[in-house]
Amino acid sequence: MGLFLLKHWRTKMPSNLHRNPRIPFMSLLSSSSTAPSMPQTESAVFHTPLFAKRPPFFLQFTRGFAASSQPDLDPQTSDGLTVDGIVARSWPILDEGESDWRSHAASVALSIQLMKRRLQWKKMALRVEQLSAELNKPDLWEDPVYAGKISREHGMYMGKMKEVNGFEQDLLEHIDMLKLAREENDTELESESMKALLRMRRIAKEKELEALLAGEHDSCSCFIEVQGGAGGTESMDWAAMVMNMYKLWAQRRGFEVTTVDEMPGEIAGIKRATIKVDGEYAYGYAKSEVGVHRLVRISPFDSAKRRHTSFAAVAVIPILGDSSSRFQINESDLRIERFRSGGAGGQSVNTTDSAVRIVHIPTGVTATCQNERSQHQNKAMAMAVLQSRLDQLEMARQAQMNAQHTQSLTDISWGNQIRSYVLHPYAMVKDLRTRYEVSDPDSVLEGDIDGFILSYLSSTVDKDEETNI
Amino acid sequence: MTLCFTRTIHSLPFKHPRLSLSNPSKRPISSFLPHSSSQSPPLLHPISPKPHLPLFLRPPTSSATFSDLQKFHSWAKGLAFSVGSKFLDSDNGPDTDLLCREIKWLLEDAVEHTSILPHLGSSQNPNLTGSELIRLKLDLDDLYSLWNQRIEERRPFQYIVGCEHWRDFVLCVEEGVLIPRPETELIVDMVEEVVSKEKGLRNGLWADLGTGSGAIGIGIGRILEEGGRVIATDVSEVAVSVATFNVQRYGLQDKVQVRQGSWFEPIEDVMGKLAGLVSNPPYIPRDQIPRLQAEVGKHEPRLALDGGDHGMDDLLHLCEGSSIALGSGGFFAFETNGDEQSELLADIMTSKSENRFRDVKIKTDMAGIHRFVTGFRR
Repeated sequence: MGLFLLKHWRTKMPSNLHRNPRIPFMSLLSSSSTAPSMPQTESAVFHTPLFAKRPPFFLQFTRGFAASSQPDLDPQTSDGLTVDGIVARSWPILDEGESDWRSHAASVALSIQLMKRRLQWKKMALRVEQLSAELNKPDLWEDPVYAGKISREHGMYMGKMKEVNGFEQDLLEHIDMLKLAREENDTELESESMKALLRMRRIAKEKELEALLAGEHDSCSCFIEVQGGAGGTESMDWAAMVMNMYKLWAQRRGFEVTTVDEMPGEIAGIKRATIKVDGEYAYGYAKSEVGVHRLVRISPFDSAKRRHTSFAAVAVIPILGDSSSRFQINESDLRIERFRSGGAGGQSVNTTDSAVRIVHIPTGVTATCQNERSQHQNKAMAMAVLQSRLDQLEMARQAQMNAQHTQSLTDISWGNQIRSYVLHPYAMVKDLRTRYEVSDPDSVLEGDIDGFILSYLSSTVDKDEETNI
Repeated sequence: MTLCFTRTIHSLPFKHPRLSLSNPSKRPISSFLPHSSSQSPPLLHPISPKPHLPLFLRPPTSSATFSDLQKFHSWAKGLAFSVGSKFLDSDNGPDTDLLCREIKWLLEDAVEHTSILPHLGSSQNPNLTGSELIRLKLDLDDLYSLWNQRIEERRPFQYIVGCEHWRDFVLCVEEGVLIPRPETELIVDMVEEVVSKEKGLRNGLWADLGTGSGAIGIGIGRILEEGGRVIATDVSEVAVSVATFNVQRYGLQDKVQVRQGSWFEPIEDVMGKLAGLVSNPPYIPRDQIPRLQAEVGKHEPRLALDGGDHGMDDLLHLCEGSSIALGSGGFFAFETNGDEQSELLADIMTSKSENRFRDVKIKTDMAGIHRFVTGFRR
């Protein structure tokens, strides 16, 4: 056991640092309530050697961080220039094509500030200190599940901090190098440093986006639910178009899509449907889509060729990966039943319909699945949906998270419009929250919605975090 | 426990090398009848010793263009919509919603790559010209005629595609074999529950009498421990060959043995040694047979449905035999036609069985019907 844990430390820790680019900042709010109480130490002797052999890189990071959290020890160039200093100078940011190092440096420095803001830098620093203290407790591994959770979380934060600190360091080094090259009239070195700064400027834009997906559950897979509004076939067709947009979007992003539940419309479209989207950060992206989507077009179902307005509501539910944070379902609280039961059942009835509905009696939360081909599989999928709905409820209750993201389909008010798709008389898709717009609705309906998602994510995160830097 | 499968004369060879099975023993069907001598086997379809390969297992041998497949799709949907709630109202048959889902599943089984299917129903396909060739496991004409049979003849969907998804596996089925019902899945859940508590049951010998496609036997075979065995029996030759095929498809031939014969007849060698006995015997009262849903009454084997005048003939026979077949502490579970039958059976097993059974319970299915009777041999 001891050996295994040691191996775990050695192999797991470094890879964590590379593999976990995001930080669950939400855990800052809720972690204390979910952390199990620490077991009393009984075999401290057993654990001490383990920690004595802790890989040195780990300690280095801790120190490195401790140093950078002191304002007077912020990384700086040989002539005392810091990232904040660069921003404060307000050097004009010119086109990328202009070979002006000040312009590049100013752009990168602004990005670093933005990343830090998005990552809630100060809260993160505080949390890392807490986690480090926890990791130093000799009896930590008495509870391996908790210990694993702590070390994973710590590894994730450290990875993120190292990345940003490293980026900061690189910027200052390149500036030093460039100034040195000028002093020494080394044109080759100067042009190399200039190129490096330009490269950093481009990478910085990607890193800004990555920092957006730092929510606690952002890395999860999710369910997406779509329901047509009032208005018959036209709105059911619109619901199907919206669902199709998400299926195509998910495919583009390389996510796996499974239909969980689908109620087709009589003539066309769907009344309501649920899909499961599997993949890293599926929830982080899809959560931006929660709300009501509005369509204006000449309806192909109207023989008089009139213009119609229809609505479809979208809900997104994360599928929590960490079993310890999931809502504990008590078997006896469930009522599991056939969704539609007709007649005598058994041998007298041959039906391919084996839809299952599960009701969680204490909360009244239900889940239905009818798209699988056996009752057993329908039950398993309905359980997965129910679990996620209950998790969502629990999340909202515990952390009082941003209410918008945790709304279920039934809670979404039809007034809560987030986006408008106009196909006629002009062509335009416009997000009502961010004012982001695209004049090619076809491409959007084919799943090209990343522009909308990213503009929304940056607008909310940047707004939220301004006060928290 | 050491097992000796001595009486294998009536069953097929245990490990069959070929996909299509042929039965060397051509015994007259009458000798395999259940104990109830009044029963005749009015099978609609002649007994075929070779199981048909279900659609989803066939290799792609044909192809059609995307737009041809789209035409089929909208034609099939049109037929489904023309049904409305007609079947539902007349005999509790499928409605449009259900038929539409079946079209989706039919196509899933029929095409080589299912990724194309979501595009069939949508109006705009910017990336598809319609001339793309889609590889199919049957001719497009056959696809039309199968869906026509589904609607016009009410041929069960599971016979059309040759399989039934049951629990977490896929069973091959064909005419002459009862299509396993969703309710029956719960018998495996009940067995799972008792074997999780008792090791003796976990690695003991089980019997599934009247196994049909092999569903319960395979379900139990998959949850027993190393050492646990199942004997799955059926009187019908088709059922035996289909069950054998299904057992082999899941690689369970060392765990689940299929034997041919009526009820306890093929398991005489293990009487008194069983750790568990389960069955979904025919239980429909004879006078209800003519009024059954068309998919059932017109297409499924009467042999697997008709339980005699009150539907209890075979259940009573099983109840009687299980006190001899089960070892001490052995578990049983029987499926019944519902409320009255299960109450009667439970009553017989508690009060009229000289204390041979304990913990006799009635269990409900997911529709709330008292579907099962379970208990233990003392």
